Amino acid sequence: MKVLLAEDENDLREVVAAYLELQGYYVVSVANGAEAVKELDRDAYDAVVMDIMMPVMDGVTAMRKIRASGHTTPAIFLTAKSEVADRVEGLDAGADDYLTKPFAMEELSARLRALYRRKRDYKTRLFSFGNLELDTEASELRAHNTIALALKEARLLSCLLSTAGQEWPADTLLSEVWPGEDVSSDLVQMYISFLNAKLASVRANAVIEKSAANGYRILEVSDV
Amino acid sequence: MSIYENYYDTMNSVMHTLVRAVEENSRRHESACGAKLFEHLRFRIKDEASMREKLARNGKQANAYHALRAVTDSIGLRIVCLFIDDVYENAALLRNLPGCTVVKEKDYIQNAKPNGYRSYHMILDVETDAPDVDGNTPGHYFVEVQLRTIAMDTWAALEHEMKYKKTIANPELIVSELRRCANELAACDVSMQTLRNIIRDS
Repeated sequence: MKVLLAEDENDLREVVAAYLELQGYYVVSVANGAEAVKELDRDAYDAVVMDIMMPVMDGVTAMRKIRASGHTTPAIFLTAKSEVADRVEGLDAGADDYLTKPFAMEELSARLRALYRRKRDYKTRLFSFGNLELDTEASELRAHNTIALALKEARLLSCLLSTAGQEWPADTLLSEVWPGEDVSSDLVQMYISFLNAKLASVRANAVIEKSAANGYRILEVSDV
Repeated sequence: MSIYENYYDTMNSVMHTLVRAVEENSRRHESACGAKLFEHLRFRIKDEASMREKLARNGKQANAYHALRAVTDSIGLRIVCLFIDDVYENAALLRNLPGCTVVKEKDYIQNAKPNGYRSYHMILDVETDAPDVDGNTPGHYFVEVQLRTIAMDTWAALEHEMKYKKTIANPELIVSELRRCANELAACDVSMQTLRNIIRDS
């Protein structure tokens, strides 16, 4: 795992870098926000650890630039200030987490691991369940046959498959698949019908069931 | 003399009997439910040249006996429907037609071919009052029926064009994109069938 460390205090930077390297991370250190922005444009990183108060360019400004140029690299802020307003500003600028100085090295390492785990989970491309496989990148559903899925169908199915067997309330599915859109739960039911028809057409051993509480879950069924 | 010798007229009448049955069934369905059961119905007796070519390819002598016994698609029907369920309704009709026995059935809709081909195939043995090539009366004739949706038909037409064109730049890319198209067309067929069910049930 490759980490970019941006910290202007030499001592702290060296200690953090040494500790992370000991933990098996590959660390590149820079001394201000402007260098961090340049470095992220130059190379790909798994995570960014960045101080807020830095000369030349502060961490919040750097974070905004990094996100504006499309980088989704997980980022943790290190902040000497413990005021709520600074933490809010940092998180809103695009950071995923923060640590208040002084902090424990083990905690920084654990938070990096947690971020990395989430990043990997978000990127899940293939879901398997019984004889079926959902490829979210190709938007394809495969079992005995293969069929294309609409974008919303693929998202809906990936929700149900991410916690297979567990029930999803219709409202939760609405906000996951149609965020910010003014749509009714009838739409969820219609897309569930599309998905069930497609599951049958590829002869998947699975069906999406509706509960009395207006929730949905995917279940394995014997060969149809 | 025709490769089908004296049997051509009987073949023609067998073919038209089936065509009439499919058409009448669709008309009945239309007056009951307001929608016909197929969009296009094509039929043909395999032309002389193709039959001779096929017999030669299979190492058979060019005569009526082999044309009517070794080859099962001397008489062919293609029923093209708007919706997937209509394909199965037409297949059910043929299966239950008096004097009609299913020799072989292959559901390439539920078992799409690896290249993406989807269709429902039936080989029927149809009984007729006239004699057949074995000298039996009533006689028996093979009929091959292909049933599919318009989307599947369009796909098959394009795949056919590709297969018979010898010089194609980048054939692997075309084949894989054709497969993707087949999966997208199948998605549309299934979604439209689902919508029709929802509309009809509401």
